[in-house]
Amino acid sequence: MAILAELEDGLWTATIAHHARGLPPEEAARVAVAEFGDPRTVGTGFGPELAAATGRRVGLALLATGPLVGASWLLLAAGTWRWAGQEPPAALGLIVALVGLALVVAVPAAVLSVAVSGRLSRWLPTGPQVGATAAAVAACACVAGDLVLLGGLLAAAVLAGGVAWPAALLAAGASSTRLSLAGRAARRCLDARATLISP
Amino acid sequence: MRAEVLKGHLDWLLLAALEAGPLHGYAVMEALRTGSGGRFDLPTGTVYPALHRLERAGLVRSRWSTEGGRRRRSYVLTPAGRRALAGERSSWQEFATTVSALLEGRPSPAPA
Repeated sequence: MAILAELEDGLWTATIAHHARGLPPEEAARVAVAEFGDPRTVGTGFGPELAAATGRRVGLALLATGPLVGASWLLLAAGTWRWAGQEPPAALGLIVALVGLALVVAVPAAVLSVAVSGRLSRWLPTGPQVGATAAAVAACACVAGDLVLLGGLLAAAVLAGGVAWPAALLAAGASSTRLSLAGRAARRCLDARATLISP
Repeated sequence: MRAEVLKGHLDWLLLAALEAGPLHGYAVMEALRTGSGGRFDLPTGTVYPALHRLERAGLVRSRWSTEGGRRRRSYVLTPAGRRALAGERSSWQEFATTVSALLEGRPSPAPA
């Protein structure tokens, strides 16, 4: 991990510097560790940076994969109804509305998580937990959206006369993968956020 | 001087330490210590997160190299960092001049 490599180099450099000033190696290492500060302070110091980096990674991943998942579902809808010349079931409107609601939450939250954890952090008056919280909200909204889509697919397959199966497998695979990853990402973001809030 | 005293000023001091050229984390801390005559003796571990924060804000840029078989991360000011430092330097001088005048009971100079 990059942070550990950097800290290790810092400790080595400090030890070498103290040794060069005349301290025996063991004493030089002891002084270097002492002036580094206690591990809790160092860990607390890195907490906001780790939370911001986690939020940013999750936000970017959701923004990058969202269009791919969406495209796989559009392909399924087109293959099942439009290209087959069939009328979509009335319940499709409800599914589209629910997924749209998830998107209305997820997209701005993901954009916010990226914005507050990058260069804009200089000008945006937000605490370090905002990025992680926004990314967790975006990931949870994606989970909700994927659950709605997969539930809709199941209903269409069972009740509405079937679907275009190759496209259905692609869409279901895309949403299942994202659902699983987004769920874990939301957990990571909330954990990172919790370390900032807990004393 | 304790680290808490520098809260709010640490970022600018780090940028100033990097103004002359690239430094790794320990060298930044040494520059602060020697530059302050030993008054700013921060725990080294507090300097690294601050450098990461400055990089995230686009004020410094880091690059990795290999020194003596170890990976080393060095930091350098970005153009945005130089501009921000210049702005802060100007604000700080005005602030310090005003506070000094008030503490010494003499009239503050009019703002430029």
